[in-house]
Amino acid sequence: MASEAAMRPAVSSGLATLAADTAAAALPVSLYVHVPFCVSKCAYCDFHSVPGHESWRQPFVDAALFEVGHWSHHDLLDDVPTVYVGGGTPTLLGDGLVRLVRGLRETARIRPQAEFTVETNPETTDAILVAALIDGGVNRFSLGVQSFDDEILRILGRCHDAEAASGAARTLRDAGAAFSIDLICGVPGQSFESWDDTLEKAVASGARHVSVYPLTVEDGTPLAVAVESGSMPALDPDVAADMMLAADVALAAAGMPRYEVASYAQPGHEARHNQVYWSGGAYLGIGPSAASMLPHDTYVRLADGEGWPLPEQDGGQPPLARTRFSHSSDLPAYLRRPLTAPTELEHLSEAEVKREDVMLGLRLRRGVLAASVEAAGLTAVLGGLADKGLVSLSERDGDARWRTTEQGWLLGNEVFGSVWAGE
Amino acid sequence: MIDLRAMTDPTLIRNFSIIAHIDHGKSTLADRVLELTHTIEDRDMMEQVLDSMDIERERGITIKAQAVRVLYEADDGKTYTLNLIDTPGHVDFTYEVSRSLAACEGVLLVVDAAQGVEAQTVANALMAMNAHLEIIPLINKIDLPSAEPERVRHEIEEALQIPADEAVLTSAKTGEGVRAALESVVRRVPAPVGDPAAPLKALIFDSFFDAYRGVVALIRVVDGHVAAGMKIRMMATQTVTDVEEVGVRRPQQVPVSELGVGEVGYLITGLKDPSLVKVGDTVTAAKHGSLDPLPGYRDVKPMVYTGLFPIDGDQYPELRDALDKLRLNDPAIIYEPESSHALGFGFRCGFLGLLHMEIVKERLEREFDLDLLATAPSVEFHVFKTNGEEIAIHSPQDMPDPGVLDRVEEPYLKVTVLVPPEYVGAVMEMNDNHRSTFVNMQYLSATTVDMHYEMPLSELIMDYFDQLKSRTKGYASLDYEYIGYRESDLVKLDVLLAGKPVDALSFIVHKDKAYARGKVLTEKLRKIIPRQMFEVAIQAAIGGRIIARETVSAKRKDVIAKCYGGDISRKRKLLEKQKKGKKRMKNLGNVEVPQEAFMAILKVDD
Repeated sequence: MASEAAMRPAVSSGLATLAADTAAAALPVSLYVHVPFCVSKCAYCDFHSVPGHESWRQPFVDAALFEVGHWSHHDLLDDVPTVYVGGGTPTLLGDGLVRLVRGLRETARIRPQAEFTVETNPETTDAILVAALIDGGVNRFSLGVQSFDDEILRILGRCHDAEAASGAARTLRDAGAAFSIDLICGVPGQSFESWDDTLEKAVASGARHVSVYPLTVEDGTPLAVAVESGSMPALDPDVAADMMLAADVALAAAGMPRYEVASYAQPGHEARHNQVYWSGGAYLGIGPSAASMLPHDTYVRLADGEGWPLPEQDGGQPPLARTRFSHSSDLPAYLRRPLTAPTELEHLSEAEVKREDVMLGLRLRRGVLAASVEAAGLTAVLGGLADKGLVSLSERDGDARWRTTEQGWLLGNEVFGSVWAGE
Repeated sequence: MIDLRAMTDPTLIRNFSIIAHIDHGKSTLADRVLELTHTIEDRDMMEQVLDSMDIERERGITIKAQAVRVLYEADDGKTYTLNLIDTPGHVDFTYEVSRSLAACEGVLLVVDAAQGVEAQTVANALMAMNAHLEIIPLINKIDLPSAEPERVRHEIEEALQIPADEAVLTSAKTGEGVRAALESVVRRVPAPVGDPAAPLKALIFDSFFDAYRGVVALIRVVDGHVAAGMKIRMMATQTVTDVEEVGVRRPQQVPVSELGVGEVGYLITGLKDPSLVKVGDTVTAAKHGSLDPLPGYRDVKPMVYTGLFPIDGDQYPELRDALDKLRLNDPAIIYEPESSHALGFGFRCGFLGLLHMEIVKERLEREFDLDLLATAPSVEFHVFKTNGEEIAIHSPQDMPDPGVLDRVEEPYLKVTVLVPPEYVGAVMEMNDNHRSTFVNMQYLSATTVDMHYEMPLSELIMDYFDQLKSRTKGYASLDYEYIGYRESDLVKLDVLLAGKPVDALSFIVHKDKAYARGKVLTEKLRKIIPRQMFEVAIQAAIGGRIIARETVSAKRKDVIAKCYGGDISRKRKLLEKQKKGKKRMKNLGNVEVPQEAFMAILKVDD
């Protein structure tokens, strides 16, 4: 055993300390792997992904596994409660994805009962691949359907039709996998009839989890260009609101109540990985543009070893509690050298963390403990939001909690923005 | 080489200005002159050397006059001292231009070889003629593929009645013809004439403020001489002071022992108050000085008024300091405190015109880091009350109750529009909508019609120029001059948001147009005011009577639901951006109102 440490590549004293400290009780750190490939770019998408580039796919798997290996080696991945492989379209990697999934299992200490999700799209959901992934430890799929209406799929620039979406859902169900379906509402030209039909088909598909996102026009996307030029009508937020309400009714009736602003699930099938994001849990993002969040002291020890930037300490500021960072989206650069310093880096103070936790917690139906709101100094702010009918305070099982109302979810930016600004 | 420090023989001096319609190449030509005369070495050369303000460079305009002395070795073997006086080109600064021209004996009239004669070409040429200056036409941009020097030559002769057979053909861009232009200046512009033995008489044609030296005046000596140590008097303001320094600008300041007849240079007295050093004033000796000032001095009065309010009310003291500082360099601005129920404390400011207003606002925001809200521009109305009292009002809020009003007068302009014949109909139709009276029109050439109207200034500041440009595809050019006050049937139109009157949105409008304006304005505001958490009524009213109403329905959906792979930072930034956008808005009785709302009144004729 003694020789194992000696055989490790040169490790700085900072990381050695990290290893020693975490030996007792490892910090739970969820894993997100960003696979930046897709068949073709959708009209609304501003996530980092590149169509084509087949020759880069295997090197990407190598780079991602190298990165995971590096962090495991430095004891950052000793207790992984959830894994999410997203993108892009991870299933486009084919066997490479199986290699990635198995590699993750072998390299990081993923809890035996961990939720392990892989994102997939209808055009790449292949029965053999699905079986291999399940065999490799994947226990949940997130299927990007968006709509069961061919016309809407065409407007969104999706490269599959409704039949392919149904087929993919069938493949997942036949494989016995738990899966979620992503849907988009508020698309210009989308009728309520089309939306109701899509919701119905989502329910019938056997999905136990559905995510509903109102379409947003992101700068620089083909959709933004189309709206700007007038070739596509502007989005109607009222229609989106009505569609979100329709989803709420239809999915609740089908046994999938809403548990988060955009998420619906059968009880017990809520996405655990996403809840890590909303509840202040640590996570490490792998791959270009992936985002991470670590307790600040963990980041400091890690950055110390990597030569990453540290916050300037002039002693005057309040102590820092949480660090969020993400890496460059430059794929070729990532393939050349996966472990570069973050390009986006943000350190939050204890007070900011408390506000952020309230902000994120209000995305969830269970809401936030009144005591946490008070500790964050936000009771008056939430009182003001309650006056506008956006949140409410109620007591259940002896716990007083602030919860977002239906109205509050529709006007989420009002709620989240006020909470974060603290005014 | 001539010694710069000695007085120059007047026969070797030529004082001239370059005048042009905007974008015809005036500043580029000035740049070439500086290069050709080695006033500025190549390595120090940048574009628009004489336009030292960022705004001047970005907009390609000249706001402040400049004077630069260059030495030119002419074909006759002699070295001439040329004083190039760069003038602002815009109609807002007509008086300043007239004073700059009064310091010259000749002008280079620059006309774009493709665009031809435009309204400001005519206005500038007329001013030069009235000042009895030698006018040398210069057809510029002959390098353009669309250049038509012969057509333009014809237009100059037709429109301006100036012989153009000797017009200089230049390309300021390539430098072609620039030397020929300077030869014409030497040959055709008369040398200055004055009496060196007479008491000092010098014209102040501009001034600016130097933080260390105080007010620096740009002057042209007509008679006598001025030297450091002399005691002088500014005749209009009756200010007596000592001369600390005189010098010439190359374009950096070079002190000289004295400035004599015909010379152009700067004068520093140590005075710190710019209101004592007025453009157009005459400088003479304090003792045994001249008794009759140079003609043409006028106390400049603002034509356009607006309320300037800091978006962040705490910045009121900063705004006051900034205005105090800016006024040092631009004494044409006037301001007095104004308070608005809607906007809090600010200033009612008077400007020479719309461009001047825009420039000042931009400079305040840029140079003093302020976020300002400007209310719609207004003019000075003369209000005659039934009790015989007469008041001048600069803000719609000050309009007395209709019950005590006898009559209201407003300033009128003579407006000149030069336009190709195919747009005559469009201009006539548009002017009909601006309460204008047709005076006459004249065909200057097959391609240019000169149209004259009389029109209230308050109509002109209603986005008139932008509309004219768009209705004539950019071909029309505009000039105007003030012709006095006339009675009009005017009423105050108020705007109410969520039932509460917003004083800063009130404006004064002709009675016959009040309903139409009220309707269009409420429609505009409905589009500008974002949906709020509750329904917002927008009403227009005259004297408490509602004449138009629109409603902004309550906002129903506004949420970033996407999860962005856990990129909470990004999500938060979007929220912060949204919050910041809200902060740029003005909160009026719980209604978030974007800044454009206060300018919407101007756009009601679109």
